[in-house]
Amino acid sequence: MEAKPKVRVFSTPTCPYCVALKGYLKEHNIEFEDIDVSQDLVAQKEMIDRSGQYGVPVADINGEIIIGFNQERINQLLNIK
Amino acid sequence: MIYDLIIIGGGPAGITAGIYAARKKLKTLLITKEWGGQITKAIDIENWPGTQKISGTDLIKQMTEHLHNFEIEIKENKEVIDLDKEKDNFILNDGEQTYEAKSVIIATGKIPRLLNVPGEEEFKGKGVSVCSTCDAPMFKDKNVAVIGGGNAGFNVGLDMIKYAKKVYILDFFEEMKGDPITKDKLAQSGIVEFITNVSVKEIKGTKFVESLIYEDRKSGKDTEIQVQGVFVSVGMEAKAGFAEKLVELNKIGEIVIDKDNNTKTSGLFAAGDITDIKYEQIIIACGEGAKAVLAATDYLKNKA
Repeated sequence: MEAKPKVRVFSTPTCPYCVALKGYLKEHNIEFEDIDVSQDLVAQKEMIDRSGQYGVPVADINGEIIIGFNQERINQLLNIK
Repeated sequence: MIYDLIIIGGGPAGITAGIYAARKKLKTLLITKEWGGQITKAIDIENWPGTQKISGTDLIKQMTEHLHNFEIEIKENKEVIDLDKEKDNFILNDGEQTYEAKSVIIATGKIPRLLNVPGEEEFKGKGVSVCSTCDAPMFKDKNVAVIGGGNAGFNVGLDMIKYAKKVYILDFFEEMKGDPITKDKLAQSGIVEFITNVSVKEIKGTKFVESLIYEDRKSGKDTEIQVQGVFVSVGMEAKAGFAEKLVELNKIGEIVIDKDNNTKTSGLFAAGDITDIKYEQIIIACGEGAKAVLAATDYLKNKA
């Protein structure tokens, strides 16, 4: 069995693409750490530093940073068909 | 392969057109760059009858799922760059291949207008944003500029005053068009500065946005303000250049149609926000998409 992927999602509560991204992961039964960067400013700084940009959502899948709701890349990394 | 109908666009108008065309058993192809457009930015839609409250992303998902139930050919991530008519048929080109159809519906909607100034593209996501509801919390204790003093710009301002240290709202014209009641609310925050009659010249920075230069349109004098965020809210734009050989465009680039969605070329129809209809709503776009297919169906029948 494959190791469970470590997935973190940096988002804000009011952003439509964040809601879409998280809904997509839930739909495919993928567990993830849901980080609200409007509240958690340490995580916000981490997100800005690592992604090199200010926009949400940002996903961290096994250490790889994905900017926006990039369904294609998420599917590749999480083996979603 | 000659299609009965090609629909260009995957928003509410295009999807509804697809559903109607499939039910009319027209041999149809739908070409779209993406699913939904402006609708994906709507947080809460509360005027879609039958559903008290739904997000734009969920509503468009429901619409696309509905469409996919039908036998209809779809090309995603494709943008039509040229549309022409040869004899009786239309020829479409997406940069890779051409398609031929007896009738066409254009339903490509509108996209956010850009400033087209240096730095705007370079710093996209690095301080330049078009989604304040998404990104406002990133600008806690920072200075931001909102470009556009219409209601949309004012709403961006309302999102920003919750977080930012200072908010500049810039407008090209002498008077801001946004509602005075919202302007009062912004002014009461004590952190908003309204600047009118200016044009943005450049967005500057290194890794992220650091400043913005605007020109006073009266005096011609440049001013540089230190901002970390720039929210562009200068309205929406219709881009129908790919069809210009066959349609009449109005002053603001919208396709002129009659009440039955006919353009000036017979067999070519348009629907939704890309057209010169006055009111732009999801439900209206859907209705226009349906009307366009009904008109196309009549056109095909009369032609046969």
